[in-house]
Amino acid sequence: MTSLVNARGVSKHYGAVRAVDDVSFEIEQGRILGLIGPNGAGKTTLLKAVLGLTDCEGQLSVLGLDPFRQRKELLRNICFIADVAVLPRWIRVTQLLEFVEAVHPNFSRKRAETFLQQTSVRSDAKVRELSKGMVTQLHLSIIMAIDAKLLVLDEPTLGLDIIFRKEFYSNLLNDYFDEQRTILITTHQVEEIENLLTDIMFINDGRILLDASMDSLGDDYVELLTSGDNALKAKGLGPIAEHEIFGKSVLLFEGVSRENLEGLGELRTPSVADLFVAKVKGARQ
Amino acid sequence: MINHYLALMKREFWEHRSIWVTPVAIASVVTLGTLAALMFAGEFAQELDLAIFGAQNIAGDTERKGVLTAYFLGSSWLFLLGLGILTVFYSLDSLYAERKDKSILFWRSLPVTDAETVISKLLTAVLLIPAIAIGAIIVTHLVNLVVTSIWVAMKGGSAATLIWGSVPLFDNWLATVVVVYSVAIWMSPFLGWFLFVSAYTKRAPLLMAFLPLVLVPLVEGIFFRSGNFAEAVWGRSAKIPLFASIDIERFFDENHARVSDEMVSLLAHLDFVQFISHIDTWIGLVVCGLLTTAAIYVRRYRDES
Repeated sequence: MTSLVNARGVSKHYGAVRAVDDVSFEIEQGRILGLIGPNGAGKTTLLKAVLGLTDCEGQLSVLGLDPFRQRKELLRNICFIADVAVLPRWIRVTQLLEFVEAVHPNFSRKRAETFLQQTSVRSDAKVRELSKGMVTQLHLSIIMAIDAKLLVLDEPTLGLDIIFRKEFYSNLLNDYFDEQRTILITTHQVEEIENLLTDIMFINDGRILLDASMDSLGDDYVELLTSGDNALKAKGLGPIAEHEIFGKSVLLFEGVSRENLEGLGELRTPSVADLFVAKVKGARQ
Repeated sequence: MINHYLALMKREFWEHRSIWVTPVAIASVVTLGTLAALMFAGEFAQELDLAIFGAQNIAGDTERKGVLTAYFLGSSWLFLLGLGILTVFYSLDSLYAERKDKSILFWRSLPVTDAETVISKLLTAVLLIPAIAIGAIIVTHLVNLVVTSIWVAMKGGSAATLIWGSVPLFDNWLATVVVVYSVAIWMSPFLGWFLFVSAYTKRAPLLMAFLPLVLVPLVEGIFFRSGNFAEAVWGRSAKIPLFASIDIERFFDENHARVSDEMVSLLAHLDFVQFISHIDTWIGLVVCGLLTTAAIYVRRYRDES
């Protein structure tokens, strides 16, 4: 596997605030990594460092390049949609395509136009005349027409209704993603993307709490739904989180084999959201 | 590389409609003014017949050139004034608008460097806007010459003799190109300053750009009893070393029965060599370069989120 992003001891400080604190990770080609964290956890700062929009301490290599110092070269093979990266409202769709075609060597205008034909975005419309959902469709059409190795999405569906959100991820998977491409995505709507992800990373207070493949989550983490004496026995095995639901105890275990828990109640793989809450609460305690 | 700059300047043209709306508006005003003047002149039929007769039979080619040049000069100054105001507002808005409408992160997601972006905005102010203004001046001249020719013909005069045979188009247009671009180069340190303010300020770029230009001379005057900054900044606009020494009195000297061709040639009054070899021109370019670099630095390193 080729490592597209390689971070070793990456930190970013804003005065006394440590937005990203000594973080190390790798992202391999052909993966879809979800970067999950609460507000202010350092997600956007980390993405900005990856995109070369901000300088940082430590060693960070993206596609073999120093992102901050070789940003222009990097952006030929990397795309991003950020919730704050708003398309200019004054521009016409045709002008936008013409401009991107002129400055981006890996952009196919024909491909973008094909994507746009499947939407209700008119080619002569100005961005200010489009709804928020249509603007996102336009942005995604441009991004999908760029032959990039790494796509970074920072809260790409923020403010969109459920239909647009579903369509967005469906287009992304069906029309864009392949083994040559890699996607790094952050969102608060974890439930909507957890089925797409191949890998997951939790970040809180600038530190990584979890960096694992989705396949390994079922082996490493298990959730037990139990009650009564079984609940007491299970609590003795050291769950990392617990809560009550409909009078039953829900216990989350890390590194405890399913064999040890069988017979104590119903076993299942925890959702990413539950795991995330458990990890963040655990880190705060 | 050049394609990038062309695309970036085209983007400026799309975004800032005032780049072409302003020259078109001035051209319309000039043309309407000419039409109004011609209609007003029609009220004085007798005097008009006499004037056309005199211009055709008594005045020489040089005098006719002089009159047409004076007319050209009047309309061109209007364009220059409009161009100056347009360039100030354009350069102040150019790096501020993309932050205000939050599109900067989209622009920065494309493989275009901050230097290319900022330099394209400087080139738009120094090359593109003047080029469009010069084009508008030329078209306005031609339209107004055609309108005037039709009017002269309707009044029984010969447009071929009075206008097209005498009009110094090449002289006027070349002089226009020299003046417009020399003024753009001369004022380039201001453009660099405006770009820097546009990249730096969080609000009110117009106020932030002009406040220091007013306050610093005041502070210097009060505390140092000198006016060097005011002279360097405000004095600059009045002393462009482009004009050849003109003996104005010759125009009014009654001993000169006729004006000479040199006196009515705009080009003859310009000294481009003096302008381009003047130390102040080069100091201005260096200051423009430094301030543009500062604008690039701010766009590159400012945290926009």
